Amino acid sequence: MSGQDGRERPAADVAGTGAEWHGGIDAGALHSALGRALTRGGDFAEIYVEERDTLGMRREDRQVDQVTGGRESGVGVRLCDGERTYYAHSDELSEAGLFRAADTVAAACGRGAPGSVVDLGGVRSEPGRHPVAVPPEGVAIERKRALLEAGDEAARAAGGEVVQVTVSYGEGRQRILIVNSEGDAVRDDRTRVRLMTNVVAHRGDVIQTGYESLGGSIGFELLDESAAERVARAAAQKALAMLAASPAPAGSMPVVLANGFGGVLFHEACGHGLEADAIVKGASIYAGKLGEMVAAPIVDAYDDGSLPNGWGSAAFDDEGVTTARTKVIDGGRLCGYLYDRRHAGRLGASPSGNGRRQSFRHVPIPRMTTTYIDSGDATPDEIIAATPRGFYARSLAGGQVEPASGAFVFGVSEGYLIEGGRITRPLRGATLIGSGIDILNRIDMIAADMDIKSGMCGKDGQAVPVGTGQPTLRIAEMTIGGTA
Amino acid sequence: MSAREGPDVTAAEHLDRIVEAAQAAGADEAEVFGQRSVSRRIKVFGGDVEELDQAVRQGLGLRVLQAGAVGYAYTSDVTGPGVEELVCRALAHAAVTDPDEHALLATPGDGYPPVDVHDPRLDDLSIEQKIGLARDTERAALDHDPRVKLVEDTIYADADAGVALVSSLGVRGSYREDDCYLFLYVLAELDGAVETGIAYDVGRYPAGLDAGACGIEAATRACRLLGARACPSFKGTAVLEPYVAASVLNVLGSALTAEAVQKGRSLFARLEGTPVAAPIVTLLDDGTHPQGLASAPFDDEGTACRRTPLISAGVLQGFLYDVRTAHKAGRTSTGNGLRGSYQALPSVRPTNLVLEGPATPAAQIVAGIEHGVLVTDAVGVHSGANPVSGEFSVGISGILIENGRLTQPLREVTLSSDILSMLKGVVALGDDARWVPSGSVLVPSVAIEGMSIGGT
Repeated sequence: MSGQDGRERPAADVAGTGAEWHGGIDAGALHSALGRALTRGGDFAEIYVEERDTLGMRREDRQVDQVTGGRESGVGVRLCDGERTYYAHSDELSEAGLFRAADTVAAACGRGAPGSVVDLGGVRSEPGRHPVAVPPEGVAIERKRALLEAGDEAARAAGGEVVQVTVSYGEGRQRILIVNSEGDAVRDDRTRVRLMTNVVAHRGDVIQTGYESLGGSIGFELLDESAAERVARAAAQKALAMLAASPAPAGSMPVVLANGFGGVLFHEACGHGLEADAIVKGASIYAGKLGEMVAAPIVDAYDDGSLPNGWGSAAFDDEGVTTARTKVIDGGRLCGYLYDRRHAGRLGASPSGNGRRQSFRHVPIPRMTTTYIDSGDATPDEIIAATPRGFYARSLAGGQVEPASGAFVFGVSEGYLIEGGRITRPLRGATLIGSGIDILNRIDMIAADMDIKSGMCGKDGQAVPVGTGQPTLRIAEMTIGGTA
Repeated sequence: MSAREGPDVTAAEHLDRIVEAAQAAGADEAEVFGQRSVSRRIKVFGGDVEELDQAVRQGLGLRVLQAGAVGYAYTSDVTGPGVEELVCRALAHAAVTDPDEHALLATPGDGYPPVDVHDPRLDDLSIEQKIGLARDTERAALDHDPRVKLVEDTIYADADAGVALVSSLGVRGSYREDDCYLFLYVLAELDGAVETGIAYDVGRYPAGLDAGACGIEAATRACRLLGARACPSFKGTAVLEPYVAASVLNVLGSALTAEAVQKGRSLFARLEGTPVAAPIVTLLDDGTHPQGLASAPFDDEGTACRRTPLISAGVLQGFLYDVRTAHKAGRTSTGNGLRGSYQALPSVRPTNLVLEGPATPAAQIVAGIEHGVLVTDAVGVHSGANPVSGEFSVGISGILIENGRLTQPLREVTLSSDILSMLKGVVALGDDARWVPSGSVLVPSVAIEGMSIGGT
């Protein structure tokens, strides 16, 4: 795709010139607001200024029926006093709104001597980390509409049994400025685009659905009509494949998890337990296990907030810490947790760039970015061929986990029986049941076909974009809940 | 944090000017939704405040109709330039949306019911007293049983919210709504195995919340699962406790919207007027219930809220409608056009779901079951209950029922059936109806026969 229709953004930010976005609040006001937050005690103050523009478009029932979007802006002030956090936020993005929020946290704390503020240094920014060639806000809205139409047609062309197609497009640009009483000042400008397709197929009494998405921290160059068609066909094929499915049997058997969406299982069953807030509270089965074997020796796993143009990526986390690739499991051994500033401090570790928040309305907490099990050296075909009887989970519908015990349940949206080393027939209504460490220990084959999918993760009422991924892998034995 | 500068978006006069501006810019019709809230959230851990969050929030959503197409935009910037941008975006969005003969705004009705959801007692307690409530909740759980290992989260939260709606068709209204809740998440431990339990208490003013009872309930729910293990698979009666029954009702609620029916996403399509449940089952959507968290005088597009029977004595009575789906079906809106916030267009959703029927003491229900399970927690209901196909398969925790007695705690067990068989298999409703705030559901324990319990 050419960049011709993209409106050029100003040249890359140069720290400290004062010409970049600052939400209408000048450096002097930020510095004095930090001081006001600390007037009645506290040891760390931080201001988070945000402006976010979004556009969402949907085509359903062969009609573009929803086009919505707008702007949300505001400021959040955080004051930490030992173990206590005070937070105030307002969508009044002005000096007056900022000072009111600062005074609110000071009043809530109100039990100590004034804290000090280090002079703010130059504002850091790294615009080259996740380059945006074609800013989506500069692309004519009719071109985005054309993506929806291309996706709709491709999904319907995949088979006469497709009865409903929903194609959605979303774009967002989030500009943030973070300053704190330790003198850090960071600016980030994040652009994300995403295309999603949902397909409903119908045969007799059977209705099945299929879903596929493509997204990144990237500009409109990610998407064109052929990408829209690919996403739509993949969603349609899932729905169509499952029309012939018979009810899955309940029981215990080897499970082959396909690449891509299968990574949701690692995210839920293991990743959440590695977030440092659960570790600090002793509410994770991974607490106190650093250096211990928690997975089969063939398992390496990472969280990578720096993955170029990744849906879950950014140059900095939402506390102004540079994002990084963190190895969490090394040859089966637990070797890292995911930290924000506060919990890193509690555990004597360095922040890992995992302090994230949904918006200025939220306190940053430890969150995953893009989490994945690393590639092995088998091929997917070898793994299937080595499985006399088992279950092939091609796509997971989502699920739930209790971090305290690691117990999880996952719905399988596209699943098949494996018989005699071959994928034979589709199965519906299966759920995967187990607990994190058990499953990690039973991984006995890993392929080299890494794929990463985009999704949204919810925790403590905050939704953030995350990537989940893995190569095709086999779990030697797992409980399947079925309806047969 | 309460004071702020700038116009009040819940004042109808301010919204009038935005409607006029949208029409002056070319909109055929316009509707503005204004929302404002002041809220607090207190998290306590280990007897001390972990987090205290105070927020002021306000914003506007503008829906325009232009040549038969809808356009929507929102903004949190309610000053002059913010509103200009809002009008401009809404019209630009309408220009690329396909015309829709059913896209209409609500017409003014015969006034709104006197639903009073404002309670000035929300501010009767100081911040310190509200912190105390959360502390008392955590303490009650820790003191209740030595096997309670920790209370991972204890939260007190409240909000004083205001809503206003004005349209060019003459809809004009506003109201205030207050609510507060306590929530905790308890971990109990025995021989290295951890079980968890939650509880909520919900009300309109904090002095009405019972911290001690809430803490004890969560502790009890966690401790009674200690020693849980899997069991052999069997078919029997499942008694869903209110928290679990509520999550199933939320799935039913979305399948009972006209939106789901019209888009071919409901297993209830074409079943209107037929028996879909056991005769003891009556299900209502009640947007006017005095205790309902989702109650209001009008919905988020200006239709009066009301009581809508969905299932009466087992027979499917009808579906929930907003203005658009009602026009498409030749019906009238049931007052179910709701939005998550000012950032979203209304869509059809339940208000308060209320399950009613002849009540049996909960202990008597268990005493009458030869082989079954008391389901105390379910995971995966959102993904495991399919409102399109009706398939139902979720992971559960609970306690085995043998010969009328609660025996072995269970984990890593699945519960499965299909939604219509479950509704028809309801054999008893408990006398323990309570409000469950995820969604907003008033529901007792529900006993369902013929469920597959999948274990080892």
